[in-house]
Amino acid sequence: MRALIHYFFFTYIRTHRYVPPMSLFLMMLIVNYHYVPNPILDSYSFTALLLFFVMGWVTITIMHAEDEGQKQITLIHTKNKRNYYFALIINCMIVGLILSLLAVAYPLVIHAFNSELHLVHIACGFLAHLSLAILSIALSIFFTRDTVKSNINSWWGVISILVVTLVLAVARVEFLRTGFISWLVPPLRFSMEIMSVGDDISSIPAQAYWQFGWIFIYSLIFMLLFIKIVQKKGTF
Amino acid sequence: MILELQNVTKRFKNKLIIENLSISISLNQVTAIVGKNGSGKSTLLKMIGGLMKPDSGQILFPDEQPISIGYVPETTPVLIPFTLLEYLTHMGRIRGLTKEWVEKRIDTLLEIFDMEHERDIRIVHFSKGMKQKTAIMQAMLEETDLLIMDEPLSGLDQKAQADLERLLLSLKEQKMSIILTCHETKLLEKVVDQTLIIQERQVIQMRSQQLHDKLINRVVFELSNTVSTDIVKNAIITDKEIADGQRLVELHISQEQTNKMVKELLGRGASIKLLEPLHVKETEFLRVLKGEENIYS
Repeated sequence: MRALIHYFFFTYIRTHRYVPPMSLFLMMLIVNYHYVPNPILDSYSFTALLLFFVMGWVTITIMHAEDEGQKQITLIHTKNKRNYYFALIINCMIVGLILSLLAVAYPLVIHAFNSELHLVHIACGFLAHLSLAILSIALSIFFTRDTVKSNINSWWGVISILVVTLVLAVARVEFLRTGFISWLVPPLRFSMEIMSVGDDISSIPAQAYWQFGWIFIYSLIFMLLFIKIVQKKGTF
Repeated sequence: MILELQNVTKRFKNKLIIENLSISISLNQVTAIVGKNGSGKSTLLKMIGGLMKPDSGQILFPDEQPISIGYVPETTPVLIPFTLLEYLTHMGRIRGLTKEWVEKRIDTLLEIFDMEHERDIRIVHFSKGMKQKTAIMQAMLEETDLLIMDEPLSGLDQKAQADLERLLLSLKEQKMSIILTCHETKLLEKVVDQTLIIQERQVIQMRSQQLHDKLINRVVFELSNTVSTDIVKNAIITDKEIADGQRLVELHISQEQTNKMVKELLGRGASIKLLEPLHVKETEFLRVLKGEENIYS
């Protein structure tokens, strides 16, 4: 598994497919913090949303970094389809983690915030970025070539699901937030709610633990579901 | 026998690709699977290689132990962003082989494939033939019991085909069990021990020994459109118009029939453009691709 993660990571690096999404994300970060000072949690919330969309792009490029012929070869060597997809998803998470750290660290380095900065702001900022990055991966993998045949449909699918998720998060529709359906709707709004509490906090709000926790659990469930679906499509 | 398929059936979107197919693959032999495009050759290889599950039926191995399989896909990877050495090391490590083993094995493979000088060159700069060799090398990283190759000569130029053919012959001399699909009839003649033809979702096993004895000639005539070819209609391979009122007809005729049929057509005003002996397996292969009955049996 380690060899597989290592191989996918270097394949992604060597194919240079990371350049467009990461450049876009960096540019947006620079533009966002061009004028100082800025509010802390609001700014982090905005860049976490940016990361949510950029990670859709990253996920597709990582999952499609190998061509079809090579994919068959790698699968034969891996001897285990589940490990193959786990390794790909872990690579997406590694990129999500790197970009989350960058998004949290950059404004600190350039002193872009107005209020006094505490560890709780950094922790909330990091969790907001990482949780949305992972949620984006979990939603986007369903539109990779393993489940969607056309490349065009992959891109439309990813854009659509991420935009719909954002719309559902900001829409003030009561029935989406109650009962069984609230468990199905991607929990993007939880991150936005936590990050809108204002900068005057001295500790992580109690509800933040289960709200961030639910985003991670929700994402994990969808990732496992994806692996189950692709596993059913063949041997191993 | 290295493996056996028993009553294997495979469907795609309710289309039956392979139906109740039962074959056995011989140990230390080169087996070719031939058939028309879409006949299910690649599907069969993928099932043998474990990339695809049969809908029903079984794939059995001797001693009930799964064998080590090397797989060369039909689509040669083109976007490999590594040097040959890096790539083979990655594939070996993913397979679970130790670093020391992989290093030694790569040295051996580079020597067998005559690629020592390319070890540190990026694969994207390789020719198609070299990429195909790379695909075969990765399949042999472990000492495999069975090497599966899907259309290994497809898309290669003549020189690369000849190189690969030599390589396959050397692997054959090393008593390697190989199963491949192909369109190139030339390959069949020199390398293959056993030919399996897929036709109408079934396999017809063609034993090379019984067919070796039959001598076939290829005859190409130029003749007028008005001349009837009824007498040789079962032997026609191609019939195409070349100029006003003239056409070229290629026939594959058994040795015993050649004199009689040539005499008959010359008598009708045809002229011979080519007459040469032909290997019977090549003839049989062409007929299968055309979906005709075997006239020699």
